Amino acid sequence: MKKVVLVTMLFLALASLFAGGKSEQSTPVANSFAWVEEGTIHGLPMVNPLKVTGNIITAGSSTVYPLSERMAERFKEEGYRGVITIDSIGSGAGFERFTVAGETDIANASRPIKAKEIDAAKSIGRTPLEFRVGTDALAVVVSKANTFAKNVTKEELARLFSTATTWKDVNPSWPNEPIQRFIPGTDSGTFDYFAEEIFASNPEPLLSAKNLQLSEDDNILVQGIKGSPYAVGFFGYAYYAENEASLNILSINGVEAVKANVDNNTYPLARPLFLYSDAVVMRSKPQVAAFIDFYLSYVNEEVIKVGYFPASEEAIDKGRKLWLEAMQGTY
Amino acid sequence: MIQHVGNHPFGKKHRPHEVVIETLLFLFALFSILITVGIAFILVRESFLFFADPDVDLLGFLTGKVWQPMIGLFGFLPLLNATLTTSLIAMLLGIPLGLFVAIYLAEYASDRVRGFLKPTLEVLAGIPTIVYGYFALTFMTPLLRSIFGENRVDIYNTASAGLVIGILVLPMIATMAEDAITSVPKDLRLAAYALGGTSIETTFKVVIPAALSGLSATFLLALSRAIGETMVVALAAGAGPNLTANPFKAAETITGYIVRISGGDVSYNSVDYNSIFALGLVLFVITFTLNLVSRKISGLFHQEYD
Repeated sequence: MKKVVLVTMLFLALASLFAGGKSEQSTPVANSFAWVEEGTIHGLPMVNPLKVTGNIITAGSSTVYPLSERMAERFKEEGYRGVITIDSIGSGAGFERFTVAGETDIANASRPIKAKEIDAAKSIGRTPLEFRVGTDALAVVVSKANTFAKNVTKEELARLFSTATTWKDVNPSWPNEPIQRFIPGTDSGTFDYFAEEIFASNPEPLLSAKNLQLSEDDNILVQGIKGSPYAVGFFGYAYYAENEASLNILSINGVEAVKANVDNNTYPLARPLFLYSDAVVMRSKPQVAAFIDFYLSYVNEEVIKVGYFPASEEAIDKGRKLWLEAMQGTY
Repeated sequence: MIQHVGNHPFGKKHRPHEVVIETLLFLFALFSILITVGIAFILVRESFLFFADPDVDLLGFLTGKVWQPMIGLFGFLPLLNATLTTSLIAMLLGIPLGLFVAIYLAEYASDRVRGFLKPTLEVLAGIPTIVYGYFALTFMTPLLRSIFGENRVDIYNTASAGLVIGILVLPMIATMAEDAITSVPKDLRLAAYALGGTSIETTFKVVIPAALSGLSATFLLALSRAIGETMVVALAAGAGPNLTANPFKAAETITGYIVRISGGDVSYNSVDYNSIFALGLVLFVITFTLNLVSRKISGLFHQEYD
């Protein structure tokens, strides 16, 4: 009997400890914009990550994932102590979670939001705000063991990823070996973008191709492409940059995927990378606003290291203006 | 007699908590049945959504040769074919190996060897299947490629996955087959020896045939385990549906597809998403049937010697 009493008392003591912890945590909410510092960067208020509290939930594009991961890392290095979740599930699924279930604070995307996704967001009371964070040069890659393919035209690219059975069918000077294809899954922004650019938004030829492997996990694609000189695939440039030692990137229409060509818009497969959030979310969860502010302020210092290309100043500024409009009068 | 028990100081009547415990245990048992019924119910209901889609028809589902739900092609033969290929390869490796291990353990091994071998097998059974998946991808595939040539063997292929599933079900086959063999009555062995049989003759001509129904039940259960295996095929077999008889080519199995789609790939309420329930139902029916048949067979076995 004594034991029971003791255990009960211990339990109660523990419970009260937790209760105490909770009430302590809730005090900073009163001044949840404490992280706003004097001064501005590119027009946005300075963020002090040490004073940011609360968790942030993001999900979406596997292309944006390495960039968001890097920014989150830096956010933490500078003092943020909450938890940032970044799920790499594809742009479509990311929008789904942001606009239908409303489970996430930020949607990462490698394509602009679609009209029906905006409608879905409106029906749960969200108005998606678009923040441009960088540019990807979609990389068409082959294994280092592939010695024949260096450049493809867009027409060849269309054949390479649809009707052609062997490399010879694409270009008569290439070997008569079957093509093995490794491409991102059907719900990824990369897949959508490729279908849009190369097949006029019709995914059918792409999906009807033989020897086709689809995966939302770009590392599975990398493994597959490394595996054979006759394999080919495509994904965000960062995954190529990370595996430069074992992969070759093809130039498109003779244009290499390098910074100069992405900046002057000559690389045919350059595409924007975005974050999406919502004013109500940003106002009710100041940590989300803080993270986006931080992201837009420093992304250009990190974007190249991750393996992408900076967006133009105007494009990023558009997002900064949206941020200021959304947060007006809150801090 | 019954009256006597009723009046006995330790009789049931005086222990009401027995009833409580019995009821609780019964409820737990009922719970597992309810879960099974619940799973079956969800699978059927969601599959109905899939088959109710105007683009889908049952005949096309069962006989179509291309599986690409996003563009309206719903033939599940490529997935079934890959599942059967990996399972068949697994059985080709797992059954003989497991059977011989079982025969050795039951009939020949000394206590010392047994004391070492059995725990080792149990360790093998305790390895998470995702580890087997990486084993397939980073050991078995390179091995196959070095034997048969890089160009003949794809980096993702059903042979590698199948062989590793064979290793994965090996402990299960060995343990259950050993039980089947040891439960053959000693009289049969003694009779065989008495007739002048050597130990090999006794094992293969008397004991194994006598244990055959138990062994077949074991093999069927192992087959159903292999068909349902997921992580190994998701990692090593390939991530695209492909109707091929060549085990060195990449091909996606039913479970592999379900994993890829449910892993956040596809939006809810799309036909792709609903398709995984239909495939789940197919898997459920296959493994359920195999388990039922296996039970029936092992039932026969018990009748013979009771």
